[in-house]
Amino acid sequence: MRAVCLWSKEWINKVRDESRVKASMPLRQVLFLSVVFCLFGAPLYSQDYPRRIISLGPAVTEGLYLLGAEERMIANTVYCQTPQGREEKEKIGTVIRVSLERIVYLKSDLILATSLTDRAQLAALKDLKLNVVEIPTARNFQEVCLNFLELGRLIGKDDQAIKIIQQAKDEVDFIRGQTKGLAKPRVMVQIGAKPLFVATREYAVNDFVELSGGINITADLKRGIYSREEALKQNPDYIIITTMGLAGAAEKESWQRYTALDAVKNNRIYIIDSEKLCAPTPLSFVSTLREMVKTLHPDAE
Amino acid sequence: MIEARGLGCGYDSRFALKDINFKAAENELLGIIGPNGSGKTTLIRAITKIIRPQCGRILLEGEDIDGMEFGELARKMAVVSQGCDTEFDIPVEDYLLLGRIPHRKAFQFLETERDMEIIQRAMDLTDTARFRKRSLNKLSGGERQLVFIARALAQEPRLLLLDEPTNHLDIAHQVKILDLIRRLNRENKITVLIILHDLNLAGEYCDRLMLMDIGGVHKIGRPEEVLTYQNIEQVYKTIVVVEKNPVSAKPYILLVSEEERARKQSKTERSGHKNK
Amino acid sequence: MSQKTFALLAWILVLGAILIVVVLVSLSLGSVNIPLGRIVEVIFQRKGSVEHSIIFDLRMSRILLGFAVGSSLGLSGVILQGMFRNPLVEPYTLGISGGAALGVCLNIVLGVSKIGGGLSLPLSGFLGALGVILMVYFLSARKTFRIQGLLLTGVMISFIASSLIMLIMAVSRVEELQGIIFWIMGSLEESNWFLIITMLLVSLAGLLVAYLFCFDLNALALGEEEARHLGINVERTKRMLFILASLLTGCSVSVAGIIGFVGLAIPYFIRLLTGIDYRFLLIGSFLAGGAFLILCDTLARTVISPLELPVGVITGIIGGSVFVYFLHTGPQQLFRKT
Repeated sequence: MRAVCLWSKEWINKVRDESRVKASMPLRQVLFLSVVFCLFGAPLYSQDYPRRIISLGPAVTEGLYLLGAEERMIANTVYCQTPQGREEKEKIGTVIRVSLERIVYLKSDLILATSLTDRAQLAALKDLKLNVVEIPTARNFQEVCLNFLELGRLIGKDDQAIKIIQQAKDEVDFIRGQTKGLAKPRVMVQIGAKPLFVATREYAVNDFVELSGGINITADLKRGIYSREEALKQNPDYIIITTMGLAGAAEKESWQRYTALDAVKNNRIYIIDSEKLCAPTPLSFVSTLREMVKTLHPDAE
Repeated sequence: MIEARGLGCGYDSRFALKDINFKAAENELLGIIGPNGSGKTTLIRAITKIIRPQCGRILLEGEDIDGMEFGELARKMAVVSQGCDTEFDIPVEDYLLLGRIPHRKAFQFLETERDMEIIQRAMDLTDTARFRKRSLNKLSGGERQLVFIARALAQEPRLLLLDEPTNHLDIAHQVKILDLIRRLNRENKITVLIILHDLNLAGEYCDRLMLMDIGGVHKIGRPEEVLTYQNIEQVYKTIVVVEKNPVSAKPYILLVSEEERARKQSKTERSGHKNK
Repeated sequence: MSQKTFALLAWILVLGAILIVVVLVSLSLGSVNIPLGRIVEVIFQRKGSVEHSIIFDLRMSRILLGFAVGSSLGLSGVILQGMFRNPLVEPYTLGISGGAALGVCLNIVLGVSKIGGGLSLPLSGFLGALGVILMVYFLSARKTFRIQGLLLTGVMISFIASSLIMLIMAVSRVEELQGIIFWIMGSLEESNWFLIITMLLVSLAGLLVAYLFCFDLNALALGEEEARHLGINVERTKRMLFILASLLTGCSVSVAGIIGFVGLAIPYFIRLLTGIDYRFLLIGSFLAGGAFLILCDTLARTVISPLELPVGVITGIIGGSVFVYFLHTGPQQLFRKT
């Protein structure tokens, strides 16, 4: 167990140094967390792992499926997808509001909440002395992995988790190696319309852009509200629009009217499914990253 | 019973009443007459503390009303206003019980036996008992007016103020209501201040009259003293003839049409010439 | 009059019975249906069956809060309608809900609730409501407490508050936005028992104070001048009633968000049934408001279980439709419009 912890600590540092992405979590915090994992890892080793898990978000649900723990998941939200051919799980509400009664009735031993879970309901569940753990929304690859690791640890599938993380990490490294020498395209990622909203560094999609060798021109903004004029001034090489429901296509059309934009001239406006951009598990992160690379570097292999 | 000294009231900068002085003795039936805008209603409103006088005082049974609380006033005097609401879908009985509100004790939430007795008496006096369960808006104008008076009576007032209670009623109802008021004044010993626009009714029924003109008292006294053609012509700016009612010997006013006024005009001119 | 006493008591009993039925139904229905017989068992079982007693606990808090808020809103509505002599006035017309919503918005966006804990949100709502109440009061409190001024001021403040709220929503983040919208939509789910008990006490206190003015309200129906002739201190009464209704509304909105319609429709129906005597109207609106909200909340959490509709949606739909229906087919309004 200790070896695993040390190994994970090293690995985290390696990822950080190599990617040279400004860590959204300071090193100290990461180290602290690793220590905490280790401290609590030991006692957990001898405990029974949770057998009745309720997931309050699609990210968690996907993670559980990936770890092969779906038979232990007794309920999830209406937005959580069930893979083809698998058994449907009971639904206990939406990502933002759940039925407290139902959760209590189901007598679960682990409830996995997300950043979107209603704070008051979260507090209520804790007041009812239920075992609630919050898995915060991952804002970059590092956090996706950390979340996945934590998930694995909670349900006693550490080894599985580490294996998957390593696999994903290797693939990310490979992709990064591939794109190293290529020119860095300037990208603007639009995630909202009316008002125009772009992705700053705190959004997961930022990591996709940077890891695939691009520059997110709006990464350092404080808030994502952007003006079209500014966008025109910045003149990005690529404009990526998340689907935002049906509005994505309409937005693409409205950008195409600005023929002075490089992105319009070279027909480099792309729509990406916003579900994919949530990328909750390390593997789904990788597959989306691949797509992003293809989009930004259509000439490379 | 009620007295005004140097009373002056107004609305904003306009002065509606200037230096009013009058006294109404106990058990008196004082009629207030005067043309439109002479300040009659304003006077009533000042007495009922709806508006505050700018100067002067009003004394009720010797006490300045300024120091009195609304509740206290309501126990001593009752008002039957002009233009009372006709839209109310409230049974007469319940409406009369509203008149008992001033006499309610601190935490009393239900009507007492006495309350019911009083309103019964009020209904008997005004002959409205037969409507007790009927809704106010289902009564005729005259019947409604009786009910309004009954409600005022339910307050057990010692002073009753009425603002043109017979305006919109036919002569049968006019007489009926004024007879009632007269009876209340004589038999039940209630002092009455009544604003009337009909000078003849005023002359017939009131002990004394107060003739108002542009916010001031023109003349106050017995009907014979007040209802003279000089006074009427001065205040109302119209030519009338004053005669004596053959039955009651009270003065009554006869109106003269334009034609006749012109004829009188030329007659006096001719007699003036003769005297020369 | 013993007949009137009898009528009043009968009325209270009927409404009380309806309330009890609604409470029982509400305890029984939910994501987990517990048959009525079982409920009685559970009540006497203390901590026996943990999940049932907790459900009892979860539902009980909603029912009690629903009663407290519903009764406050019903009471506030009937008082305001009596004061304004206008059957279309409701507790939110005075802009109090706008103020509360603005307070909560600011709280969420400034992140105060993270430090303040569970009570900070209702507290900020209440402060916002109080701010509006004071503003409206002092803007209208000249020599005479002008009623028309109150209405207009309230409506204007509502508009200003909504605009400010939209401004805040435009610059806020997704999680904040969500928090704001959900608060505004109204919810009776509250786990803080201190708030629930306080709200219950506030509504009961409100009822008792209101009864001190029942005759004033009866007299006011005749018009301000007539009421004065009956010895009512109209100025003082108007001020007190305004403060009472505003506080009831302010507290309700702070704790439960914006739940409309209860204050508008319930008094109307009670008036149809009991007439215009406030001795009946006050207790009637109080009990009926509480029962109605509990009923709507029960529907809100069972109709598309496990998902939950905002309770304001149910009160609006049911209340609104029935109201419109009666407006057109039922007996004429027993109330005078000034």
